[in-house]
Amino acid sequence: MSDKEKDFKSLDLTVGDVFSKEARLKARNVNVYYGDKKAIDNVTIDIGNKEVISFIGPSGCGKSTFLRCFNRMNDTIDICRIEGQITLDNDNIYDSNIDVVPLRARIGMVFQKPNPFPKSIYDNVAYGPRIHGLCENKEHLDSVVEESLKRAGLWDEVNDRLLSPGTGLSGGQQQRLCIARAIAVSPEVILMDEPCSALDPIATAKIEELIHELGNEYSIVIVTHSMQQAARVSKRTAYFHLGKLIEVGKTKEIFTRPQHNQTEAYISGKIG
Amino acid sequence: MFNFYLLVVILLISFLFFFIGLKEAKKLRLVYKNNLHSLPHYYGFYALLASLLPSLGIYFLMTIGDDFLFSHMIKSYIPDEVTNAKDYNFLIALAQINNSVEGLIFGTPPQWVTDAAELWKSWVQTSNIIVASLCLLSSIASGYYGFLKINQNFRSRNAVEKIIMTLLATSSVIAIFTTIAIIFSVVFESVRFFALIPIDEFLFGTVWNPQFEGAERAGSGQQGLSQYGSIPLFAGTFLISFIALCVSVPVGLFSAIYLSEYASSKERAFFKPLLEILAGVPTVVYGFFAALTVAPFLRSSGSIFGLNVASESALAAGLVMGIMIIPFISSLSDDVINAVPQSLRDAGYGLGSTKNETVLKIVLPAALPGVVASIILAVSRAVGETMIVVMAAGLAANLTANPLEAVTTVTSQIVTILVGDQEFESAKTLSAFALALTLIIITLCMNFYALHIVKKYREQYE
Amino acid sequence: MSKKFINPLEATEIVKNSIKKRRAKDNRLRLYGRIAIGMATCFLLFLFFSIFTKGYPGFFQYYVTLDIKFDRERIDPKGDLSDTSLYEGEASNIVNESLFSIINPQGRKAKKEARKIVSSGKDLRIAKLVKNDPSLFGTVTKVKFALDDDIDSFLRGYINRDTPESERRISDNVIAFVDKLSEENRISYEFSDYILKGSASGNPEMAGIKGAFFGSILTLSVCLLIAFPLGAATAVYLEEIAKKNKITEIIEVNINNLAAVPSVVFGIMGLAIFISIFGMPRSIPLVGGMVLALMTLPTIIISSRAAIRAVPPSVRDAAYGIGASKLQVIFHHVIPLAMPGMLTGTIIGMAQALGETAPLLMIGMVAFIVDVPNSVMDPGTVLPVQIFMWADFAERMFIQKTSAAIIILLGFLITMNAFAIYLRKKLERRW
Repeated sequence: MSDKEKDFKSLDLTVGDVFSKEARLKARNVNVYYGDKKAIDNVTIDIGNKEVISFIGPSGCGKSTFLRCFNRMNDTIDICRIEGQITLDNDNIYDSNIDVVPLRARIGMVFQKPNPFPKSIYDNVAYGPRIHGLCENKEHLDSVVEESLKRAGLWDEVNDRLLSPGTGLSGGQQQRLCIARAIAVSPEVILMDEPCSALDPIATAKIEELIHELGNEYSIVIVTHSMQQAARVSKRTAYFHLGKLIEVGKTKEIFTRPQHNQTEAYISGKIG
Repeated sequence: MFNFYLLVVILLISFLFFFIGLKEAKKLRLVYKNNLHSLPHYYGFYALLASLLPSLGIYFLMTIGDDFLFSHMIKSYIPDEVTNAKDYNFLIALAQINNSVEGLIFGTPPQWVTDAAELWKSWVQTSNIIVASLCLLSSIASGYYGFLKINQNFRSRNAVEKIIMTLLATSSVIAIFTTIAIIFSVVFESVRFFALIPIDEFLFGTVWNPQFEGAERAGSGQQGLSQYGSIPLFAGTFLISFIALCVSVPVGLFSAIYLSEYASSKERAFFKPLLEILAGVPTVVYGFFAALTVAPFLRSSGSIFGLNVASESALAAGLVMGIMIIPFISSLSDDVINAVPQSLRDAGYGLGSTKNETVLKIVLPAALPGVVASIILAVSRAVGETMIVVMAAGLAANLTANPLEAVTTVTSQIVTILVGDQEFESAKTLSAFALALTLIIITLCMNFYALHIVKKYREQYE
Repeated sequence: MSKKFINPLEATEIVKNSIKKRRAKDNRLRLYGRIAIGMATCFLLFLFFSIFTKGYPGFFQYYVTLDIKFDRERIDPKGDLSDTSLYEGEASNIVNESLFSIINPQGRKAKKEARKIVSSGKDLRIAKLVKNDPSLFGTVTKVKFALDDDIDSFLRGYINRDTPESERRISDNVIAFVDKLSEENRISYEFSDYILKGSASGNPEMAGIKGAFFGSILTLSVCLLIAFPLGAATAVYLEEIAKKNKITEIIEVNINNLAAVPSVVFGIMGLAIFISIFGMPRSIPLVGGMVLALMTLPTIIISSRAAIRAVPPSVRDAAYGIGASKLQVIFHHVIPLAMPGMLTGTIIGMAQALGETAPLLMIGMVAFIVDVPNSVMDPGTVLPVQIFMWADFAERMFIQKTSAAIIILLGFLITMNAFAIYLRKKLERRW
């Protein structure tokens, strides 16, 4: 643990490297409450630039809740209360004069169950650029849609039926469509909440490959239930337990030489 | 007609059989040492039902049937000079006889009426005796039969339950019976109407001016008497419905959007029931309000602007009907909007939509089939509405698109024609049935279409 | 990164610039929603306000107090208090004499006008008084009489004494008489005992809803007795017993269709079948109740089915597990648990039936019937139809009484619906 950050206060110290160079997103002493119940306890972590980091841990330990703090999706839940600081490029995103709309254009999200709009494939991907007014004309929009679908690895499969409904695709294709949709607004960070849990193994493998590639362009935070998946796609891994951040580190080391005994217990299957 | 005492006696006899059956079953239970299939009271019930049902059936059949029977039989007792008279009408003669039977005598009726009435009364007496004895006989006989069936092997509970299930099934058939009755009554009379007036004149004619002419055929303009073109009526109906939609769709839809997407739970808990109240107000109250408050108000404000607003304008009726229909649209739309899965909204918010973008571009398009269906259902309700238009809109068939004039509608014509004196033989009365038939067809088609839309588009995002 | 794809930093800028407009649109939509709800609320408030302000005065009337000489030979010539005797008596003359002694009309015209001041129900009032209390005979007692509706309108201020006599409904003479009566403090404004106890009448000051009220009760009772058992039985059959085959599908489609048919059509059916074919008398609560029952059946069936469906399968499974037969499961377990929902649905259906007018017009419950119906076979009318009939009359007092009748009708509806909601909340179960 680095001594440099003196404003770091904690009783239970997180083991490992919470900070990174060129961090885009920084969370400092974040507490999240659902009513009176504390879901996230004093978490501090950095999300680096163009890295893929996994959040792992047993069910109900708060990983998804914490993830949703980054793009303020918890705002839609009335009883959810957040303390602490989360900054994107040094702007506190919970500041009262920050509008949540541009924030969500910069930090995109892919959900657990694929949720394409009941519109055509084209309209699904074009939705974001349209509402934000990102494209000057139709050709520009067409090219953005094409590029997004290409980056999501879906273009080859659907380019002949862009006008057919997005809901007509298979589960794995729908999830890639959702990824394309998120990419189309040019985010800098993509949050993924267990993106493969509703998919079959073949679709999962395709998406994991995709995430690996996307990590070269975007910062990706992926919440996953599966340690193997974390091992496959991410460089860094953070282990959560009951709302606390227990250990952060390089994925290889977490899985081979975890420093905290709770991490070790989870990895070896004793808990979770 | 309704012999109350006989019913009571039949009921008592069946109770008697219940106790007899119960006793017998208990006796059997002792004999066979509790080896009986069903509990004793089921045997009692079986005996009761066996006694009650057949005699009830006979009772109702005969009391309903005897009027028919007598009407038929009395025909031969009406003297020929009466039946051959020019204006002879069997129903009127029947009515005269019935009046005499019930003692409603004004002045001195013709002799044949009094004679026929005496005959009828004697038939009634005979039939009463026959019915009473048949019912009593059958209730005792069938009850005894039921009692005889009670033995060790008899599975009375199954028998009783089968009977009850049949009764339940019969009651659900009553629903079909109602539909058949509606169709039958309306179609039958409409057919008689269309025998007098050609269908194309009815459907496509533009002048509605029916008069009572007795049994003669009404002229369609040629003899210069009545005309039965229904277009002005439908035009009036749709004009008023259109005005109603202009009020109810914006108010209902925006209310639904606000309540389901923007309102706090307190607001929703308060305003949603408030809107429902609008649907609970009886239509006669709306009609009164339209005729005595809204119409004069429109008339006087119209004169301020130099417009001539009729005292029974389509606008008055349409506005009030619009108010009445608001909950139809707001409630149903609210339900379909809420039914749109939250995951779609999350996806929209995740991409950085504002609330109105999510609502207008994601939620509403997904809910659109339901919203359209609710509008169609609201229109169907408006088309079938009677009291508001009877009280606030006019009676003059006027083919116009001007909401400030008085128009009449299909429903108010039906009411005007059928309330009051009528002869079932005249074309004017029958025209009301023809109008009712078209009304039924239109409303049913609209409802089918609304259901179809919902079904067809529901698959899209399942 | 392709040149055509958008640079994230540019994107952020574009979005930041567009925010203001988009937020404005959002606020506009919220505003429209609020306006819409506001309008609907205003309509509702305006409706109730208008009815209430018109109707509240309808519960009150103006009365005149006169000293009446209860002279037996003149009021009850036959001496037996029978209706024929009282009919032959001169109760009206006695009342007018008492009135004339106060106001002293001069000349034939004035006397004629003076006779119209007290409501024409005065002899009925005297008859009722002496029947209830024969000891009045031989006394001189003060009696309150309702005033004719034109006088009533004048006293309320709807007829202005400054308008020229030819344009007024009451003459200068009459105004002078009324002034004299008020000087002697004989005129009072009191709660009307006609609105609730009177029956239909051509004279607005004597009109009341008693007949229509009882007619409504009788009709609704018939409706309930027919519709609830039939509806409940059908719902039970369709949900629990019937196999899902073509026939049940047809029945279900039929029921849904019936719910959509306009109410007038049920009236037409009643007219054609119950009255024409079955030959039942017109205008009786029995036929009205039957028509309303068939109209309310779909509502009861649909809500009862929903209530039955809401009973969890685990209850049924448990009952079957101990060996109960199908009907025993239904009658001992399902129906008691579904009963609250079925009852609420029925009450709501009854409330709808109470307010129905059109179908009853079709079967003739619209005649001018003065007597209160005593049984379901006596001709009668119902409250909403009474309102409809009165709405045609132009006299001011009728407008007020009609509004008062509407207030009474709405009162019943609110009570019934509130009761249904109370039942639902009280008996609601959380599975």
